[in-house]
Amino acid sequence: MKTVAGKSVPETRAGDSLWRVVNKGSSFNRLALSVLAVLAAFAFTAVPISLSGKNPAVAYWALLRGAFGSVDAITFALNKSTPYILAGVGVAMCFRARIINIGGEGQIAVGGIVSSWIILTFPDLMSSVLIPLALVGAALAGAVWAGLPAMMRLRRGVHEVLSTLMLNFVGTLLVGEVLNGTMGEPGAGFPQSPLFPESGRLPILLPQTDLHSGILLALIAVVSCHFVLWYTPFGFRLRVLGSSSSAAIYAGISLSSTFLSVMLLSGALAGVAGGIEVMGIHYRLIEGFSSGFGFNAVAVALLGALNPLAILPSGLFFGFLEAGSLAMQREVGVPSSLVYVIEGVTMICVLCAMGFIGPRSRS
Amino acid sequence: MAGAIPFTCFMQPIPPMLEMRGICKTFGTVRANRNIDLTVERGRIVGLLGENGSGKSTLMKVLFGMVRPDAGTVSFNGHALQSHSPGDAIRAGICMIHQHFMLVEAMTVLENVMLGWSRAGTILKSIEIAKLIRTASKEYGLELSPKTRVSELGFGKRQRIEIVKAILRGAQLLILDEPTSNLSPVEVSSLFQVMRAFAAQGRSVVFISHKMGEVLDLCDEVVVLRAGEVTHRGPVQNATRADLARLMVGREISLSHVSETKVRGSELMTIEGLTLIESRPPIDGLSLSLRSGEIFALAGVDGNGQLELIETIAGLRRASKGKIILNGREITPLRPEARVAAGVAYIPVDRANTSLVPDMTVQDNLAFRDFNRPPLRKGIWLDKNAFLTRARTRIQQYQIACPGPQVAAQTLSGGNQQKIVLAREVGRKPTILLAFQPTWGLDPGATRFVLDEILALRDAGAAILYVSSELEEVVMLGDRLGVMFNGRLIGVSNRNELSMAEIGLLMSGDERTLS
Repeated sequence: MKTVAGKSVPETRAGDSLWRVVNKGSSFNRLALSVLAVLAAFAFTAVPISLSGKNPAVAYWALLRGAFGSVDAITFALNKSTPYILAGVGVAMCFRARIINIGGEGQIAVGGIVSSWIILTFPDLMSSVLIPLALVGAALAGAVWAGLPAMMRLRRGVHEVLSTLMLNFVGTLLVGEVLNGTMGEPGAGFPQSPLFPESGRLPILLPQTDLHSGILLALIAVVSCHFVLWYTPFGFRLRVLGSSSSAAIYAGISLSSTFLSVMLLSGALAGVAGGIEVMGIHYRLIEGFSSGFGFNAVAVALLGALNPLAILPSGLFFGFLEAGSLAMQREVGVPSSLVYVIEGVTMICVLCAMGFIGPRSRS
Repeated sequence: MAGAIPFTCFMQPIPPMLEMRGICKTFGTVRANRNIDLTVERGRIVGLLGENGSGKSTLMKVLFGMVRPDAGTVSFNGHALQSHSPGDAIRAGICMIHQHFMLVEAMTVLENVMLGWSRAGTILKSIEIAKLIRTASKEYGLELSPKTRVSELGFGKRQRIEIVKAILRGAQLLILDEPTSNLSPVEVSSLFQVMRAFAAQGRSVVFISHKMGEVLDLCDEVVVLRAGEVTHRGPVQNATRADLARLMVGREISLSHVSETKVRGSELMTIEGLTLIESRPPIDGLSLSLRSGEIFALAGVDGNGQLELIETIAGLRRASKGKIILNGREITPLRPEARVAAGVAYIPVDRANTSLVPDMTVQDNLAFRDFNRPPLRKGIWLDKNAFLTRARTRIQQYQIACPGPQVAAQTLSGGNQQKIVLAREVGRKPTILLAFQPTWGLDPGATRFVLDEILALRDAGAAILYVSSELEEVVMLGDRLGVMFNGRLIGVSNRNELSMAEIGLLMSGDERTLS
């Protein structure tokens, strides 16, 4: 090709302009990219569905109906989303400060244990006292479970990834331990606690459905975290710390107290998620009641670009996807484990899409 | 392709080592390179002068095949380089030494040289390569021993490892990007000797810089870039500093003239017996006083304790012993936030991560040392209106060129980023300003702006502690000056009491001049 001074080579120009479009990173582009990523994930997952001998179109139709097909389906999905949103927004706050708290699994579990214990120990209290008490207990338990690794990091330099991950096993196994011991239902044959009294169950929002009031707490958590992150000195500290720890030191931000506070906050939110799950869905503590919640919360946080308000749609997406997948399994016989494939592939696609957008900033 | 070099082929039988012709590159609306020609003859040292953003790096990226030019040709040793990759450029014999070295600190010099070099063999030929390093080291006067660990070496020696790597790998053309930024005057002159020895062998050097003095000193020819265009090319003999500065900036800028302080008042800050055991090198019992209306310029090669000293005054480090007294009040136990409130401002050298948070907005960056007190904080909330008002005022006051207070700071040019830092720290009207190489990496225009603001602050009665490793700056600015060497403060003197050469010797630890 002849290159003359002043004339441009068309190929490189086209490449540049595409980059500029992607690089703008307006909220519309972010949304469009997320939607594209989700669609791409569904397209990929069609392959294993076909391989299992089922028609992907039929399977996805079942999934869609299972998620949105009826009031029951929707309320079921909303209930499923609740713990994801709560724990996810806590994870997002930690990740904003570049603190890798992946201990949601354990924090949720101990939240469930402590709220169950409170309800089973004080069954005669009025529900207006018992429920807040149980939730506060759950929050404290989760905060303690996150505070432990935070203290280990600050005092002994143990990296929080390791300690939070390990405490997950301790937390989830503790559920089985208490259920096989003092909190188990006598003669049940399954590791579960006795049924909670009426006073220890979360009120139903919509009569004739299962929709409990946990989703309201999740909403409050999302909105509060949004304001904390963007409009308070504490949130400002988190953001500076997350962007550059040397800048944080320069700004006079105490790394240790910020670290500890955000871990406690995140743990408390996860603990509440655990409490809500036992008080709103099962009405008892069951072994494995929260299996995978903590890790999904990390995925939810990342899918929401660590932006509290965006955690809401992101958490709902995971909840509705899981609800739909159960229907897909029931009606078409596609293994529901494929949902984890969709979730996984979506995550990868979204993270790739974010790579296009470049560094996070508030648009 | 032979037709693409019509001018030189009949003038010289041997083509020049590097010939770039008519290089054009546009990024969006920015014309980074406009029809640039660059010719480097064998055995020549060519200086490439230009401000930040004048197109120097784009031109070098084109040469390395990291950026495709919109138009133009590159030929090296008579062979055209077209659509080439950085790998092709390196194989052809072009080698670039960046400001930030690519060395593994935990490894020895030898291991670093062998790293990623196919000639080192699948089973490493350590003995053979070590011999090569010793030979080259002797030949060029590099004084490198193959077995030393990189972490034990200073900046100057590390740079030499990069040079020995380039030499052993058969580099014909060596490109040095701002190589003297972190060197002491003594190290600079020995680097220049190495460069001259390199060129004496018929190889060539491109010396990228915005320091006119060094270019005049070292180079055979100089090419000046401004706003993507060549504004001057020619032998250095005919050029003067003032000419080059004007050609670089496009307007008259006097960098040398700084008025002496008019007001020299009472002592604002006294530092008594400051001791830092854990810093490297340790500081033991340093005392210093800063007076109102003066600049105390602290010279020294990086890593002699200046950073530790200034960070301790700013409250980012704890002193093991000693007192810092500001206006009669001891501030030693205060946290950084409280020191800011007490009137201590600090401009750190590291814009990339410390004095600025690149992915936060201009508005947040203007606020992030004061966010926790009124007017920016109101009760438990941040007052976003106060953030915005302050940002608007500062942007106007300090002429920060940006689309608005809400854009990320990283989208701004280096000079404008430094204006943000300056606006935040100086705009607070501090009593004491600690400035650590505030003009580092800035072009002459931005440098002048920063210096003017600092001088204005001085004349308003503040005390300034100005740390720099650049001799000229220290001599020009300091109403008083001192040198940090190995954790000690030496040669404290008034303006014009010590010559530049004497300060240079002090910076390398030679205290004989003082006696």
